[in-house]
Amino acid sequence: MLGEFEYLLITAAAGLGDHAYGAAIREEIETTTGRRCSIGALYTTIDRLESKGFLITWMGEATAQRGGRAKRMVRLTPDGVHAAKDFYKAVTRISRNASWTSNRIGGSSL
Amino acid sequence: MSAGWRLVDLASRLLERNEREAVLGDLTETREPPGAAVMGVLGLALRRQADPWKSWRPWLAGFGVALPSAYLLMGASLSVTWSYMRLFCPELLAQASLTKPSAVLVLLWHMFLLIGWSWTGGFVVGSVSRRTLWASTLLCYSPCLRCLWLFRIESLSRFCLLLFLLPAIWGVHRGLRMSGMRLASALIVALSLTLLMIPTWSDGHWRWWSAPQWTWNWALTLPAWYLVFTAWRARTDSGASGREVTINQ
Repeated sequence: MLGEFEYLLITAAAGLGDHAYGAAIREEIETTTGRRCSIGALYTTIDRLESKGFLITWMGEATAQRGGRAKRMVRLTPDGVHAAKDFYKAVTRISRNASWTSNRIGGSSL
Repeated sequence: MSAGWRLVDLASRLLERNEREAVLGDLTETREPPGAAVMGVLGLALRRQADPWKSWRPWLAGFGVALPSAYLLMGASLSVTWSYMRLFCPELLAQASLTKPSAVLVLLWHMFLLIGWSWTGGFVVGSVSRRTLWASTLLCYSPCLRCLWLFRIESLSRFCLLLFLLPAIWGVHRGLRMSGMRLASALIVALSLTLLMIPTWSDGHWRWWSAPQWTWNWALTLPAWYLVFTAWRARTDSGASGREVTINQ
């Protein structure tokens, strides 16, 4: 099963689609979670997910905005999508009776 | 380029080429402040260096082979030097009860062992953990420097302690290029080293309660047998996968 940060990274990459690369994924995670994402955590997690077969990466084009340096592009594999779905289902299932979920079964929310 | 970004550029040299390119591009694009950028790059470099140490491999290469072998191989280098010196000193020959031809034989025997031990040790260090070779090198050189500093035999150059370095570096070089040896070659090397050690084992002086220092050198044959084990395992694995393919077909 994926770890929390692995799930965040995969989901951010999935949302960005063809524009998923290091800086964009990092910005997406920081904006949506409000937590700082270090370059070290980002790239070591990308490598780990790639070695598990959940992602593929390749060097993309260089832009002037990046000082003429190439991007490390990221794309999810079917295994990555499957792992993210499993994680999401597990989180949804385990949360169904928690007080903070809006569709809690048989109980009032706090 | 500002001084801060020069520092970022310098720190990024610790990363691999493609990673460096991507990371510096990301930092430029997000207009990261230089201080945070340096910390980010150093953090990534540190994670990259720490990552291989989660495995047993760098521990085996550094603390299991490089460090102890350096001590033993310095002793063996000294032994080869003495065997060589003995050829030119009739008193030493008489002391060892050796004739000149037998002294030449002993010298060749010691040289072969030294080269074999150093080469196989180097090969294991190079092939087992390439990314932590710097650490294994440090662990090998630190006892060397200490012994060079403490060396006090006037008739010998202190550099005779380092005779093992050349074959060891050659072994590392080969180990970096190959993941392992072929089973037949590994077996020949390991058996030759072991057979050449047997005369030392059965020289009549050895007692388990007062083992001479030379018996510790048996540990130096372990890298050769490790190479046999890995070659055998690789052969068994490839045999198993070959059989699987045949069954699937």
